[in-house]
Formats: sequence, C-alpha cells, structure tokens
Amino acid sequence: MPPSTPILTLSHVSKNYGIVTALRDVNLEVYPGDFIALFGPNGAGKTTLLKIVASLVPPTRGELVFHVPQPGKVRQLIGYVSHQSLVYNEMTAVENLVFYGKLYGLTDLQHTVEGLLEKIGLWEARHQLVRGFSRGMKQRLTLARALLHRPEILLLDEPYTGLDQHASRLLTHMLRDLRDEHKTILLITHNLSEGLELSNRVIIQNRGEFVFEATRASLARENFENLYFEVIER
Amino acid sequence: MSSTNNQDFLPRSQKWLQISGWLLPFLYVLIVAALYGAFLYAPRERVMGEVQRIFYFHLGSAWNCFLAFFAVALAGVLYLVTRNEFWDHVAAASAEIGIVFATIVLATGSIWARPIWNTWWPWGDPRVTTMLVLWLIYVAYLILRSSLPDGEKKFKLCAVFGIIGFLDVPIVWMSIRWWRTIHPVVIASSGGGLAPKMVHALMIAVPAFTVLYLTALLLRTAMHLHQGVARELNQAVLERGRP
Amino acid sequence: MRSLKLIWILAEKDLRLEYRSRQAFLTTFFFALLILVVFQFAFDPGSTALREAAPGVLWTALLFPGVIQLNRSFQLEKEEGTLHGILLSPVERSLLFSGKFLANWVFLVAIDLLIVVAFVIFFNFSFEAKLAWILLLILLASAGFSAVGTLFAAMVSGIRTREVLLPILLFPIIVPTILAAVNGTQEVLLRHQPQFLVRWIQLLSAFDIIFLAVAFIVFDYVLDE
Repeated sequence: MPPSTPILTLSHVSKNYGIVTALRDVNLEVYPGDFIALFGPNGAGKTTLLKIVASLVPPTRGELVFHVPQPGKVRQLIGYVSHQSLVYNEMTAVENLVFYGKLYGLTDLQHTVEGLLEKIGLWEARHQLVRGFSRGMKQRLTLARALLHRPEILLLDEPYTGLDQHASRLLTHMLRDLRDEHKTILLITHNLSEGLELSNRVIIQNRGEFVFEATRASLARENFENLYFEVIER
Repeated sequence: MSSTNNQDFLPRSQKWLQISGWLLPFLYVLIVAALYGAFLYAPRERVMGEVQRIFYFHLGSAWNCFLAFFAVALAGVLYLVTRNEFWDHVAAASAEIGIVFATIVLATGSIWARPIWNTWWPWGDPRVTTMLVLWLIYVAYLILRSSLPDGEKKFKLCAVFGIIGFLDVPIVWMSIRWWRTIHPVVIASSGGGLAPKMVHALMIAVPAFTVLYLTALLLRTAMHLHQGVARELNQAVLERGRP
Repeated sequence: MRSLKLIWILAEKDLRLEYRSRQAFLTTFFFALLILVVFQFAFDPGSTALREAAPGVLWTALLFPGVIQLNRSFQLEKEEGTLHGILLSPVERSLLFSGKFLANWVFLVAIDLLIVVAFVIFFNFSFEAKLAWILLLILLASAGFSAVGTLFAAMVSGIRTREVLLPILLFPIIVPTILAAVNGTQEVLLRHQPQFLVRWIQLLSAFDIIFLAVAFIVFDYVLDE
C-alpha cells in the first residue's frame, strides 16, 4: 500500500542519442519506500533511464519531477551505482570517501567514513590504494561511495556484475537492510530471482519502452522466467 | 513517427527554398552588374594595373566571411537558448559558406600580392594573417562537427566552439596588428583614396556578394535539414524492421 | 567561500593524483626537453638565427606537451567514471571547471619553470634580472592556455580522435596568447623595449580574463551526454 504522494514522477520521458531512440515516452511514478526491479535485455534503455533519474543525462523530451521539500537539493538525495566504479585507483579507500564526502559537504566526515568502511568490511584495507583491490573489494567501496551521504533514493545499475558469491551475499544483505530502512530503490539486474526476491514492484523494459509492469505480490516466482521471455519476444 | 523533429521544419524549409528561388533573379542581375562594374566600369588603377580589379571580389568576400562567422556564433547562442536543432543547421550551413568566402579572400589576396608586393603570402599584412587564422578556426569547427555523431551533444559543443571562435576574432586581429607594427614593416598598407567609379563598383560588388551569401545560406540550410529528415526516416525504417 | 573551498578540494585531488603518478609529469617534461633539443639541430650552432628564434622555440616546446597534459586531465576521470561521480554530487559544474583549470595551470607552470632552466642552459642566455618578467609571462600565458584548453579538453573527452582534435581546436584560438608570449619573451631577452613588453602583458591579461569568464559560463553545456 503505497503512500498517496510519489517521491518522483517521470512523465512522457524520451531520450534520443542523435537519431537512435534510447527511451520512448516513459511514464513512471515512484513512491517512497518502493523497491523497483527493472529487467530487460541489453540495449533496452535501462541505464539511460537511471542516468536520467540521476540527472546525469537530460531527457530529450518529457519531464522529471522530484516531490521533495527542497527541489534544489535533489543531488543530496540520490545515490548511484553505475557500471563503472566511480572511485580513483590511485587513491586509498579513505581518501576516496573523504574526497566525495567533502563534495557533498558532509559534517562529521571522519566518523561517517570510518563507520562505513567497517560496515562494508574494508577496514583493514582502508589505507591501501584502490589499484590493488579485488573486484569485490572495489565494488564494496563503490557501494560505500554511493551510500556516503545517506541518500533517500538509490539507483543501482547491475551491481551484482563481477561479484563472487560472498560479495554477492553481502550486497543482498545490504539491499535488504536499505529496503527495511524504507529507502527508495531502483535496481537494474539480469538476475531475475535476486530482483524478484527484494522488490515490491517489477518492470520489464524493452527497446526503450516499458512492456510490463506489476506489483511483486501479483507475480508467481516459478512462472516469472517464462513470463519474462514471453514479454520480451512479444 | 514521434522521435523526429526535423520533419516539423519541412514546411519552413519549403518556404526558404521558395524565397531563395525569388532571390535568384536578383542575384543574377547583381552578379552581372558587379562583374561589369569591376571589369568595365571601374577605371584601371594607375599603379597596380588590372590586377587591382580583384579587389572588388576580395572585399565582397571578406565582408561576407565575417557576416557568415557572426551568423555561426548567433545561431550557436540561439541553439543554446532554444535547444532547437534548426539553429544547428543554420550554423553548419553558415560555417561552410564562410569558409568558401575565406578561401576566396586568401586566394584573391595571394594573387594580388604576387605582382604588387612581390610575394605570394604577405605575412606582413595583418588582414591576411587574421583571415588565415579565421580560416583555421572555422576549418577546426567543421572538423569538430564531423567528429561527432548527430545529437544534442554535437549541437551544444559546436555552438560553444562557434561562439568562442567569433569572440576570438577581435583579439586575434589586435594581437597580429601589434605583432606586425613592432617588427619592421616591409609592406605599407594599400593605397588611400579610391576613384568615385571604383567606389560605385564596390557598392555593387558588396551587396551582390551579400545576396549570394543569403541565397547560399537558405539553400544550404534547407539541404542540411533534408539530410536530417532522410537520416531520421532511415533510422525509423531500421528500428521498425528489427525482429 | 564554500565555492573557493570546493575548487581547492577538486584541484588538490588532481594535483595529488599527478604527484602519485609522477611518471606522467616526467614524461611530459621529457617531451618538452626533446623539442628543445630537436630545434637545436635545425639551426647552425651558435648562429644569431638561433638566438633570434629562441623565444619561439621555448614556447613551441611548452605548447605540445601542454596539450597532452590537458587531454590527460579528463581521461583520468573517464577511466573509472569518476567524472560522473563528481557530476552526481551537488557541486556546480563551473566549480569543476575551476578546479580542473587550477590544477592544469599549476601543472603547466611547473613544467614551464623546469623547461626554462633547460632553455637557459641550452641557449646560453643569462637573465637573472629578467627572471621576474619571464615568470609573469609564463603565469599569464599558461592561464590563457589552460582556460581555453580545459574547456576544449572537456569537450573532446568523449571523442575517439581527441588526441589530434584538441590541438586542432585549441591552437587557432590561442594564437593571441602564443603571439604575446613569444613576442613578450623576445622583448625581455633580445630587444628590451619595455613599452612593448607591457603591451603584450596587457594582451595576455585581457585574453585570460575574457576566456576564463566565457569558459566558466559555457562549461555547463559541454559535459552533458
């Protein structure tokens, strides 16, 4: 039962890269506390949608509105995990987080950074250069960077890619915690079961359009894979 | 066909083609008059001889070259304000025509300099050198255009470069003039007063070239627009044809 | 005040990364040094032509390595997508420009100073008393170079051919800076006509102010996808 006012509305949003249409007339209302799993094949425009919500990319047409008390401070609300790590290889874990923390104007930075590093299990490696990190360690730092300023809205673009089972499980636990803290989350993933397990809403996107939308409760887990392929190949 | 907006401009471009059609007769008359003025009506210059007649086309091109590059900057500003792709077509067209005029200026200047100043390339003349730098700037502009795929990003970057390029013109001019005045100037700047008939010939040649510029701008912009439409239709076919 | 602090945070991060990978700095310096040496072979040793051309050689040796540095300053942000990281934060883009500009400026001035030392040795100039003037010319010329260069480097950072594209866009635009720097240096080293030197310094300052302001304003447009 979603609250009556959405935190974020996309109306008739389209994005063209030159003559290529990445996103076509997308409408979406996101409510506070939503956990939306966004599925779809490569090239469906999922990443473009996330970048538009993150205000990294301006839409060609349509409107993106945040229903928040201070619309000028939207960037403070958003945490974003992209395909790339967004951290500097030639800096240590602490230096990376302190740098980004300063950009967000965080107070009590030292304390926040230390707490986060401990939580994601990078405490021992905190003074090592990121260059020497394993894929899993780096991904954890990427997550810490996104969570640093305690965003209300989290945008995650295939965060499971390249993680081993251990790191994967840690990520699932963290996402579950964030969901329980009523953060609003948009998750792009190719892992259907993982996405289904966490979300309360499911969207399938193909060729720049939403081709399927449902609440998680209305879906049966066993049939979902068949449903997915049916929808994509329609 | 929702993803396009070039097609929305088609009525406008039809009108432009129409206007350029009306301009053509004027253009023919003006160009013939300019040729007559330069080659027959204007007297033979006493010192420089026949080669001085190139001056009428030289100046006509130079004026329109500046006009064209000003239009590139103006269209750039209008694009950034309105985000309307149409202005990018105007800027592209104007830059192309401007480069043609700049090339004419440099070529005619060189042809003129050879007998008069005894050199093919009068580095000593600040006007020629400024024109060369201008030519380089706008060739760079076209190279930038061709390096980017069509889209908002290309339009924005080209608008920014077009604006900066034009702002640079007066500074380039000033720096080159100072450079030449500090060094020993081998070449004195060209003659002072013009005979009245020469002024008349000039007064025909400059408007003739201006109408030439405007006609070319209309045609060339319409062409860019139609190219855009063709690309969009092509893409639409590709997208629909996909399984 | 907060803006100035942010500019410094951004610039300091860039300079720290430069310091960590000193190799890039040394490579750039070595390239500049190489240009100085190659030019020696173009002239007869000890000829007056070489002395006359010396200021031009100095600034040529500074331009080409400078372009490499400008390109690098945005490439290093693309490697791990950190440019997006900064754009996601509430920092205005004009401040990002200012930070990059400042870091590039400091880097270029540092290279320039080292090259001037090599230049003095190779070309056998002595300019104890004139050092202040040379320093001023370096500061002003590098500022203009870095202002337009940082903007253009951001523009071409997503283009495959950026390595050649950047000098093609940059050099015609900074013709006034090049002319003023070369001629100013000539006045200092060879001609000693202070009224002309002042004029070139004025031109450099005007160029810096105009294009810093313009780049600061238009930088907003050049990073969108």
